[in-house]
Amino acid sequence: MCETNKKNIFADRTIILTPMSANRHLDPHCRAILQEYEDNLPRFREVEAQVRDTLRRTLQDAGLAVAAIESRVKGYDSLAGKLELKGHKYKSLANLTDILGLRVITFYIDDVDKVASAVERLFTIDWENSVDKRKIHEIDSFGYLSLHYICSIPDFPYRFEIQMRTLLQHAWANMDHDTGYKSGVEIPKRYLRNMSRLAGMLELVDDEFSKIRIELTDYRRRVQALVRSGNLDEVPIDGDTFRSYMDLDPFAQLNKRIASMNQAEIQDVSLMPYLSVFKSIGLKTLGDIDRMIKDFSEGAYQIACYQIGLTDLDIISSSIGPQDLCIAYILKNGGGKAGIKHMFDLLNGESGNNDMMAEMLLEQSKDLPFMNKQG
Amino acid sequence: MEVKINTKDSVTTAQLIGRLDTPASQEISGDFDNLMQYAAGTVILDCTELEYISSSGLRLFLSLRKAAASKGGNVIVKAINKDIRSVFMMTGFLNLFEIQD
Repeated sequence: MCETNKKNIFADRTIILTPMSANRHLDPHCRAILQEYEDNLPRFREVEAQVRDTLRRTLQDAGLAVAAIESRVKGYDSLAGKLELKGHKYKSLANLTDILGLRVITFYIDDVDKVASAVERLFTIDWENSVDKRKIHEIDSFGYLSLHYICSIPDFPYRFEIQMRTLLQHAWANMDHDTGYKSGVEIPKRYLRNMSRLAGMLELVDDEFSKIRIELTDYRRRVQALVRSGNLDEVPIDGDTFRSYMDLDPFAQLNKRIASMNQAEIQDVSLMPYLSVFKSIGLKTLGDIDRMIKDFSEGAYQIACYQIGLTDLDIISSSIGPQDLCIAYILKNGGGKAGIKHMFDLLNGESGNNDMMAEMLLEQSKDLPFMNKQG
Repeated sequence: MEVKINTKDSVTTAQLIGRLDTPASQEISGDFDNLMQYAAGTVILDCTELEYISSSGLRLFLSLRKAAASKGGNVIVKAINKDIRSVFMMTGFLNLFEIQD
Protein backbone atom coordinates (compact mmCIF):
# COMPACT_ATOMS: atom_id res chain seq x y z
CA MET A 1 0.00 0.00 0.00
CA CYS A 2 0.95 3.58 -0.41
CA GLU A 3 1.82 5.44 2.76
CA THR A 4 0.54 8.99 2.66
CA ASN A 5 0.39 9.92 6.34
CA LYS A 6 3.96 11.08 6.33
CA LYS A 7 5.19 14.36 7.64
CA ASN A 8 6.66 16.97 5.35
CA ILE A 9 8.67 19.23 7.60
CA PHE A 10 9.40 21.56 4.68
CA ALA A 11 5.77 21.96 3.69
CA ASP A 12 5.35 25.28 5.49
CA ARG A 13 8.15 26.97 3.58
CA THR A 14 5.77 28.75 1.29
CA ILE A 15 3.47 30.07 4.00
CA ILE A 16 3.84 33.78 4.56
CA LEU A 17 5.02 34.16 8.12
CA THR A 18 2.92 36.88 9.67
CA PRO A 19 2.24 36.32 13.38
CA MET A 20 -0.68 38.71 13.23
CA SER A 21 -2.37 36.46 10.69
CA ALA A 22 -2.42 33.62 13.20
CA ASN A 23 -5.82 34.47 14.50
CA ARG A 24 -6.25 31.19 16.26
CA HIS A 25 -7.91 29.89 19.39
CA LEU A 26 -4.90 29.00 21.47
CA ASP A 27 -5.00 28.33 25.18
CA PRO A 28 -2.43 29.97 27.52
CA HIS A 29 -0.26 26.82 27.45
CA CYS A 30 0.05 26.95 23.66
CA ARG A 31 0.63 30.71 23.75
CA ALA A 32 3.49 30.13 26.20
CA ILE A 33 5.06 27.64 23.75
CA LEU A 34 4.67 30.16 20.93
CA GLN A 35 6.29 32.84 23.07
CA GLU A 36 9.20 30.51 23.85
CA TYR A 37 9.52 29.89 20.11
CA GLU A 38 9.60 33.63 19.37
CA ASP A 39 12.18 34.26 22.10
CA ASN A 40 14.45 31.56 20.70
CA LEU A 41 13.94 32.13 16.99
CA PRO A 42 17.28 33.94 16.44
CA ARG A 43 19.12 31.07 18.16
CA PHE A 44 17.28 28.51 15.99
CA ARG A 45 18.46 30.40 12.91
CA GLU A 46 22.05 30.43 14.18
CA VAL A 47 21.94 26.68 14.82
CA GLU A 48 20.35 26.13 11.40
CA ALA A 49 23.33 27.80 9.69
CA GLN A 50 25.82 26.06 11.97
CA VAL A 51 24.39 22.56 11.43
CA ARG A 52 23.99 23.06 7.68
CA ASP A 53 27.58 24.30 7.30
CA THR A 54 28.96 21.49 9.45
CA LEU A 55 27.07 18.94 7.35
CA ARG A 56 28.16 20.50 4.06
CA ARG A 57 31.81 20.67 5.09
CA THR A 58 31.86 17.12 6.46
CA LEU A 59 30.28 15.62 3.34
CA GLN A 60 32.62 17.65 1.12
CA ASP A 61 35.69 16.50 3.08
CA ALA A 62 34.49 12.91 2.76
CA GLY A 63 34.21 13.35 -1.02
CA LEU A 64 30.50 12.61 -0.85
CA ALA A 65 28.64 14.59 -3.52
CA VAL A 66 24.98 15.20 -2.67
CA ALA A 67 22.23 16.75 -4.76
CA ALA A 68 21.19 19.27 -2.10
CA ILE A 69 21.18 20.18 1.56
CA GLU A 70 18.00 22.00 2.50
CA SER A 71 17.09 23.59 5.79
CA ARG A 72 14.32 25.66 7.33
CA VAL A 73 13.09 26.91 10.68
CA LYS A 74 9.37 26.32 11.14
CA GLY A 75 7.26 29.41 10.52
CA TYR A 76 5.14 31.05 13.22
CA ASP A 77 1.86 30.34 11.44
CA SER A 78 2.73 26.72 10.86
CA LEU A 79 3.60 26.21 14.52
CA ALA A 80 0.45 28.01 15.68
CA GLY A 81 -1.62 25.74 13.43
CA LYS A 82 0.06 22.65 14.81
CA LEU A 83 -0.47 23.78 18.40
CA GLU A 84 -4.11 24.57 17.70
CA LEU A 85 -4.62 20.99 16.54
CA LYS A 86 -2.53 19.08 19.08
CA GLY A 87 -0.90 21.55 21.48
CA HIS A 88 -1.92 19.45 24.46
CA LYS A 89 0.61 16.79 23.38
CA TYR A 90 3.57 19.09 24.02
CA LYS A 91 4.72 20.16 27.47
CA SER A 92 7.10 22.79 26.12
CA LEU A 93 8.87 23.80 22.95
CA ALA A 94 11.55 21.21 23.68
CA ASN A 95 9.00 18.46 22.95
CA LEU A 96 8.67 19.62 19.35
CA THR A 97 11.48 18.10 17.29
CA ASP A 98 10.71 19.69 13.93
CA ILE A 99 11.12 23.41 14.68
CA LEU A 100 14.45 23.14 12.89
CA GLY A 101 14.55 20.70 10.00
CA LEU A 102 17.28 19.80 7.52
CA ARG A 103 17.22 17.51 4.55
CA VAL A 104 20.10 15.89 2.70
CA ILE A 105 19.19 14.67 -0.78
CA THR A 106 21.64 12.16 -2.24
CA PHE A 107 22.16 10.98 -5.80
CA TYR A 108 22.61 7.32 -4.90
CA ILE A 109 20.75 5.08 -2.51
CA ASP A 110 23.97 3.77 -0.92
CA ASP A 111 24.88 7.33 -0.03
CA VAL A 112 21.88 7.69 2.29
CA ASP A 113 23.60 5.36 4.75
CA LYS A 114 26.91 7.17 4.30
CA VAL A 115 25.25 10.50 5.09
CA ALA A 116 23.52 8.86 8.07
CA SER A 117 26.87 7.64 9.33
CA ALA A 118 28.28 11.19 9.09
CA VAL A 119 25.23 12.58 10.92
CA GLU A 120 25.69 9.98 13.68
CA ARG A 121 29.30 11.09 14.15
CA LEU A 122 28.47 14.79 14.17
CA PHE A 123 25.37 14.95 16.37
CA THR A 124 23.75 13.12 19.27
CA ILE A 125 20.90 10.99 17.91
CA ASP A 126 17.66 10.47 19.78
CA TRP A 127 17.22 6.86 18.62
CA GLU A 128 13.88 6.43 20.29
CA ASN A 129 12.31 9.09 18.10
CA SER A 130 14.32 8.57 14.90
CA VAL A 131 12.62 6.63 12.13
CA ASP A 132 13.96 4.59 9.26
CA LYS A 133 10.94 4.68 6.96
CA ARG A 134 12.80 2.40 4.60
CA LYS A 135 12.28 -0.46 7.03
CA ILE A 136 8.66 0.00 7.97
CA HIS A 137 7.20 -1.21 4.70
CA GLU A 138 5.83 -4.71 4.39
CA ILE A 139 7.45 -6.84 1.71
CA ASP A 140 4.51 -6.21 -0.61
CA SER A 141 4.21 -2.47 -0.08
CA PHE A 142 5.89 0.51 -1.66
CA GLY A 143 5.84 4.15 -0.65
CA TYR A 144 7.67 6.82 1.23
CA LEU A 145 11.30 5.86 1.83
CA SER A 146 13.37 8.19 3.93
CA LEU A 147 15.57 8.14 6.98
CA HIS A 148 14.68 10.64 9.72
CA TYR A 149 17.06 11.34 12.60
CA ILE A 150 16.16 13.44 15.61
CA CYS A 151 19.39 15.12 16.65
CA SER A 152 20.83 17.43 19.26
CA ILE A 153 24.01 19.37 19.86
CA PRO A 154 25.58 20.63 23.10
CA ASP A 155 24.55 24.10 24.37
CA PHE A 156 21.24 24.06 22.53
CA PRO A 157 18.27 22.68 24.49
CA TYR A 158 16.12 21.88 21.46
CA ARG A 159 16.25 18.88 19.16
CA PHE A 160 16.11 19.09 15.39
CA GLU A 161 15.32 16.72 12.54
CA ILE A 162 17.53 15.62 9.66
CA GLN A 163 15.89 13.76 6.79
CA MET A 164 18.00 11.78 4.34
CA ARG A 165 16.71 10.44 1.04
CA THR A 166 17.64 10.04 -2.61
CA LEU A 167 16.72 12.45 -5.37
CA LEU A 168 14.13 9.98 -6.70
CA GLN A 169 12.64 9.39 -3.27
CA HIS A 170 12.50 13.15 -2.90
CA ALA A 171 10.73 13.54 -6.24
CA TRP A 172 8.18 10.89 -5.31
CA ALA A 173 7.57 12.36 -1.87
CA ASN A 174 7.05 15.84 -3.29
CA MET A 175 4.68 14.64 -5.99
CA ASP A 176 2.77 12.54 -3.49
CA HIS A 177 2.64 15.44 -1.06
CA ASP A 178 1.42 17.91 -3.62
CA THR A 179 -1.34 15.68 -4.87
CA GLY A 180 -1.96 13.45 -1.85
CA TYR A 181 -2.76 15.71 1.09
CA LYS A 182 -6.36 16.62 0.66
CA SER A 183 -7.80 16.27 4.09
CA GLY A 184 -11.46 15.39 4.10
CA VAL A 185 -11.35 14.18 0.52
CA GLU A 186 -11.26 10.47 0.03
CA ILE A 187 -8.42 9.58 -2.30
CA PRO A 188 -9.47 7.17 -5.05
CA LYS A 189 -7.85 3.76 -4.70
CA ARG A 190 -6.64 3.92 -8.27
CA TYR A 191 -4.57 6.99 -7.43
CA LEU A 192 -3.05 5.31 -4.38
CA ARG A 193 -2.25 2.23 -6.45
CA ASN A 194 -0.60 4.35 -9.17
CA MET A 195 1.54 6.24 -6.65
CA SER A 196 2.49 2.93 -5.09
CA ARG A 197 3.47 1.52 -8.50
CA LEU A 198 5.60 4.60 -9.12
CA ALA A 199 7.30 4.24 -5.75
CA GLY A 200 8.16 0.64 -6.59
CA MET A 201 9.50 1.63 -9.98
CA LEU A 202 11.64 4.45 -8.57
CA GLU A 203 13.02 2.05 -5.95
CA LEU A 204 14.14 -0.20 -8.81
CA VAL A 205 15.66 2.77 -10.68
CA ASP A 206 17.56 3.84 -7.54
CA ASP A 207 18.96 0.31 -7.27
CA GLU A 208 19.95 0.28 -10.95
CA PHE A 209 21.78 3.62 -10.66
CA SER A 210 23.61 2.21 -7.69
CA LYS A 211 24.59 -0.94 -9.62
CA ILE A 212 25.88 1.14 -12.53
CA ARG A 213 28.05 3.16 -10.16
CA ILE A 214 29.45 0.00 -8.56
CA GLU A 215 30.22 -1.48 -12.01
CA LEU A 216 31.90 1.75 -13.15
CA THR A 217 34.01 1.88 -10.00
CA ASP A 218 35.00 -1.74 -10.59
CA TYR A 219 35.89 -0.97 -14.23
CA ARG A 220 38.07 1.96 -13.17
CA ARG A 221 39.90 -0.19 -10.63
CA ARG A 222 40.59 -2.89 -13.21
CA VAL A 223 41.85 -0.30 -15.72
CA GLN A 224 44.11 1.31 -13.14
CA ALA A 225 45.54 -2.12 -12.32
CA LEU A 226 46.19 -2.80 -16.03
CA VAL A 227 47.83 0.61 -16.47
CA ARG A 228 50.01 0.09 -13.39
CA SER A 229 51.06 -3.37 -14.53
CA GLY A 230 51.98 -2.03 -17.97
CA ASN A 231 49.43 -4.09 -19.94
CA LEU A 232 48.57 -1.00 -21.98
CA ASP A 233 47.59 -2.84 -25.16
CA GLU A 234 44.57 -4.23 -23.32
CA VAL A 235 43.31 -0.80 -22.31
CA PRO A 236 41.10 1.08 -24.78
CA ILE A 237 41.39 4.87 -24.81
CA ASP A 238 38.51 6.61 -23.07
CA GLY A 239 38.12 9.42 -20.56
CA ASP A 240 38.74 7.21 -17.54
CA THR A 241 41.64 5.21 -18.92
CA PHE A 242 43.35 8.28 -20.35
CA ARG A 243 43.11 10.05 -16.98
CA SER A 244 44.67 7.03 -15.23
CA TYR A 245 47.42 6.96 -17.85
CA MET A 246 48.08 10.69 -17.34
CA ASP A 247 48.74 9.95 -13.67
CA LEU A 248 51.85 8.09 -14.87
CA ASP A 249 53.09 11.34 -16.45
CA PRO A 250 54.02 9.62 -19.74
CA PHE A 251 55.21 12.83 -21.47
CA ALA A 252 57.44 13.97 -18.60
CA GLN A 253 60.68 12.73 -20.13
CA LEU A 254 60.04 14.41 -23.47
CA ASN A 255 58.93 17.66 -21.80
CA LYS A 256 62.06 17.73 -19.63
CA ARG A 257 64.25 17.15 -22.66
CA ILE A 258 62.56 20.02 -24.52
CA ALA A 259 62.74 22.29 -21.44
CA SER A 260 66.45 21.60 -20.97
CA MET A 261 67.20 23.38 -24.28
CA ASN A 262 66.53 26.79 -22.70
CA GLN A 263 66.52 25.78 -19.03
CA ALA A 264 62.81 26.51 -19.26
CA GLU A 265 60.30 26.07 -16.46
CA ILE A 266 57.41 23.69 -17.21
CA GLN A 267 53.87 24.78 -16.35
CA ASP A 268 51.67 21.77 -15.65
CA VAL A 269 48.37 21.87 -17.50
CA SER A 270 45.59 19.36 -18.09
CA LEU A 271 46.33 17.14 -21.07
CA MET A 272 42.78 15.83 -21.29
CA PRO A 273 42.11 17.87 -24.49
CA TYR A 274 44.59 15.52 -26.23
CA LEU A 275 42.24 12.58 -25.70
CA SER A 276 40.21 13.61 -28.75
CA VAL A 277 43.39 14.24 -30.78
CA PHE A 278 44.81 10.78 -30.07
CA LYS A 279 41.50 9.17 -30.99
CA SER A 280 41.19 11.24 -34.16
CA ILE A 281 44.58 10.10 -35.46
CA GLY A 282 43.52 6.50 -35.04
CA LEU A 283 45.08 5.44 -31.74
CA LYS A 284 42.92 2.80 -30.08
CA THR A 285 44.67 1.72 -26.89
CA LEU A 286 47.00 3.22 -24.31
CA GLY A 287 49.59 0.85 -25.80
CA ASP A 288 49.30 2.80 -29.07
CA ILE A 289 50.08 6.07 -27.24
CA ASP A 290 52.99 4.41 -25.47
CA ARG A 291 54.44 3.24 -28.81
CA MET A 292 53.88 6.69 -30.30
CA ILE A 293 55.95 8.21 -27.47
CA LYS A 294 58.75 5.70 -28.10
CA ASP A 295 58.74 6.08 -31.88
CA PHE A 296 58.12 9.81 -32.28
CA SER A 297 59.81 11.49 -29.31
CA GLU A 298 62.91 12.18 -31.40
CA GLY A 299 60.80 13.84 -34.11
CA ALA A 300 58.92 15.88 -31.49
CA TYR A 301 62.21 16.99 -29.98
CA GLN A 302 63.54 18.04 -33.38
CA ILE A 303 60.42 20.16 -33.99
CA ALA A 304 60.79 21.80 -30.56
CA CYS A 305 64.53 22.40 -31.18
CA TYR A 306 63.79 24.10 -34.47
CA GLN A 307 61.10 26.28 -32.91
CA ILE A 308 62.47 27.39 -29.56
CA GLY A 309 66.14 26.35 -29.65
CA LEU A 310 67.24 29.70 -30.98
CA THR A 311 64.86 31.79 -28.86
CA ASP A 312 65.17 32.91 -25.25
CA LEU A 313 61.74 31.48 -24.35
CA ASP A 314 62.23 29.91 -20.93
CA ILE A 315 58.68 28.90 -20.07
CA ILE A 316 56.72 26.05 -21.68
CA SER A 317 53.57 24.20 -20.79
CA SER A 318 53.43 20.44 -20.27
CA SER A 319 51.28 20.18 -23.40
CA ILE A 320 54.30 20.91 -25.61
CA GLY A 321 55.37 17.23 -25.56
CA PRO A 322 52.05 15.73 -26.71
CA GLN A 323 51.54 18.61 -29.18
CA ASP A 324 54.90 18.08 -30.93
CA LEU A 325 54.48 14.28 -30.74
CA CYS A 326 51.16 14.52 -32.56
CA ILE A 327 52.66 16.88 -35.17
CA ALA A 328 55.55 14.46 -35.81
CA TYR A 329 53.15 11.50 -35.99
CA ILE A 330 50.74 13.24 -38.37
CA LEU A 331 53.49 14.46 -40.70
CA LYS A 332 55.32 11.14 -40.76
CA ASN A 333 52.08 9.29 -41.50
CA GLY A 334 51.17 11.53 -44.41
CA GLY A 335 48.49 13.58 -42.66
CA GLY A 336 50.08 16.76 -43.98
CA LYS A 337 48.78 20.26 -43.48
CA ALA A 338 45.14 19.15 -43.22
CA GLY A 339 46.00 16.72 -40.43
CA ILE A 340 47.80 19.38 -38.39
CA LYS A 341 45.03 21.90 -38.94
CA HIS A 342 42.52 19.30 -37.74
CA MET A 343 44.59 18.80 -34.59
CA PHE A 344 44.56 22.53 -33.82
CA ASP A 345 40.84 22.69 -34.63
CA LEU A 346 40.21 19.97 -32.03
CA LEU A 347 42.40 21.65 -29.43
CA ASN A 348 41.57 25.31 -29.94
CA GLY A 349 38.37 25.41 -31.96
CA GLU A 350 38.14 25.99 -35.69
CA SER A 351 39.93 29.07 -36.99
CA GLY A 352 41.57 30.27 -40.17
CA ASN A 353 44.72 30.83 -38.13
CA ASN A 354 45.01 27.06 -37.59
CA ASP A 355 45.53 26.75 -41.34
CA MET A 356 48.32 29.32 -41.17
CA MET A 357 50.04 27.48 -38.31
CA ALA A 358 49.72 24.14 -40.08
CA GLU A 359 51.34 25.67 -43.17
CA MET A 360 54.17 27.06 -41.08
CA LEU A 361 54.78 23.73 -39.30
CA LEU A 362 54.80 21.86 -42.58
CA GLU A 363 57.40 24.25 -43.93
CA GLN A 364 59.54 24.09 -40.77
CA SER A 365 59.48 20.29 -40.52
CA LYS A 366 60.08 19.24 -44.10
CA ASP A 367 63.88 19.29 -43.78
CA LEU A 368 64.11 17.93 -40.24
CA PRO A 369 66.01 14.61 -39.97
CA PHE A 370 63.01 12.58 -38.69
CA MET A 371 61.03 13.41 -41.82
CA ASN A 372 63.68 12.01 -44.06
CA LYS A 373 64.48 8.95 -42.00
CA GLN A 374 63.25 5.68 -43.49
CA GLY A 375 61.00 3.33 -41.49
CA MET B 1 54.37 49.65 -23.32
CA GLU B 2 50.91 50.84 -22.37
CA VAL B 3 47.88 49.14 -20.81
CA LYS B 4 44.41 50.66 -20.99
CA ILE B 5 41.89 49.01 -18.69
CA ASN B 6 38.17 49.41 -19.20
CA THR B 7 35.45 47.63 -17.20
CA LYS B 8 31.85 47.27 -18.25
CA ASP B 9 29.46 45.02 -16.29
CA SER B 10 31.46 41.87 -15.53
CA VAL B 11 33.75 42.19 -18.54
CA THR B 12 37.12 43.90 -18.21
CA THR B 13 39.12 44.70 -21.30
CA ALA B 14 42.84 45.45 -21.14
CA GLN B 15 44.31 46.91 -24.32
CA LEU B 16 47.98 46.01 -24.56
CA ILE B 17 49.93 48.43 -26.73
CA GLY B 18 53.59 48.01 -27.71
CA ARG B 19 56.23 45.35 -27.11
CA LEU B 20 55.86 43.11 -24.06
CA ASP B 21 59.54 42.31 -23.46
CA THR B 22 61.17 41.74 -20.08
CA PRO B 23 61.54 45.40 -19.01
CA ALA B 24 58.00 46.15 -20.22
CA SER B 25 56.68 43.19 -18.23
CA GLN B 26 58.13 44.71 -15.06
CA GLU B 27 56.74 48.09 -16.05
CA ILE B 28 53.16 46.82 -16.43
CA SER B 29 53.12 44.22 -13.64
CA GLY B 30 51.13 46.70 -11.52
CA ASP B 31 48.45 46.82 -14.24
CA PHE B 32 48.21 43.04 -14.14
CA ASP B 33 47.94 43.18 -10.34
CA ASN B 34 44.98 45.53 -10.89
CA LEU B 35 43.47 43.10 -13.40
CA MET B 36 43.55 40.32 -10.77
CA GLN B 37 40.67 42.01 -8.93
CA TYR B 38 38.49 41.45 -12.01
CA ALA B 39 39.57 37.83 -12.44
CA ALA B 40 36.28 36.47 -11.09
CA GLY B 41 34.59 37.76 -14.25
CA THR B 42 35.73 37.82 -17.86
CA VAL B 43 39.02 39.53 -18.65
CA ILE B 44 39.81 40.21 -22.30
CA LEU B 45 43.45 40.86 -23.16
CA ASP B 46 43.10 42.82 -26.37
CA CYS B 47 46.36 42.25 -28.27
CA THR B 48 45.41 44.12 -31.45
CA GLU B 49 48.30 46.53 -30.89
CA LEU B 50 50.66 44.12 -29.13
CA GLU B 51 53.73 43.63 -31.32
CA TYR B 52 55.82 41.13 -29.37
CA ILE B 53 55.69 38.93 -26.28
CA SER B 54 58.60 37.47 -24.27
CA SER B 55 58.65 34.74 -21.62
CA SER B 56 58.09 37.42 -18.97
CA GLY B 57 54.96 38.51 -20.82
CA LEU B 58 53.76 34.89 -21.01
CA ARG B 59 54.25 34.65 -17.24
CA LEU B 60 52.03 37.70 -16.72
CA PHE B 61 49.31 36.13 -18.89
CA LEU B 62 49.69 32.87 -16.98
CA SER B 63 49.42 34.48 -13.54
CA LEU B 64 46.18 36.15 -14.64
CA ARG B 65 44.86 32.84 -15.96
CA LYS B 66 45.64 31.13 -12.65
CA ALA B 67 43.86 33.87 -10.69
CA ALA B 68 40.83 33.56 -12.99
CA ALA B 69 40.78 29.77 -12.66
CA SER B 70 40.81 29.98 -8.87
CA LYS B 71 38.00 32.56 -8.84
CA GLY B 72 35.84 30.93 -11.51
CA GLY B 73 36.60 33.62 -14.08
CA ASN B 74 37.80 33.48 -17.65
CA VAL B 75 40.67 35.06 -19.62
CA ILE B 76 40.27 35.65 -23.33
CA VAL B 77 43.27 36.56 -25.47
CA LYS B 78 42.03 38.57 -28.44
CA ALA B 79 43.56 39.39 -31.81
CA ILE B 80 47.15 38.15 -31.42
CA ASN B 81 49.36 38.67 -34.44
CA LYS B 82 51.05 35.87 -36.38
CA ASP B 83 54.35 36.08 -34.46
CA ILE B 84 52.70 36.01 -31.04
CA ARG B 85 50.50 33.11 -32.13
CA SER B 86 53.68 31.25 -33.09
CA VAL B 87 55.16 31.92 -29.64
CA PHE B 88 51.97 30.57 -28.02
CA MET B 89 52.14 27.48 -30.23
CA MET B 90 55.87 26.83 -29.75
CA THR B 91 55.54 26.97 -25.96
CA GLY B 92 52.35 24.93 -25.72
CA PHE B 93 50.42 27.96 -24.46
CA LEU B 94 47.95 27.94 -27.32
CA ASN B 95 45.34 25.76 -25.71
CA LEU B 96 45.81 27.32 -22.28
CA PHE B 97 43.74 30.34 -23.26
CA GLU B 98 40.54 31.00 -25.10
CA ILE B 99 41.87 32.77 -28.18
CA GLN B 100 39.63 35.02 -30.24
CA ASP B 101 40.58 36.22 -33.68
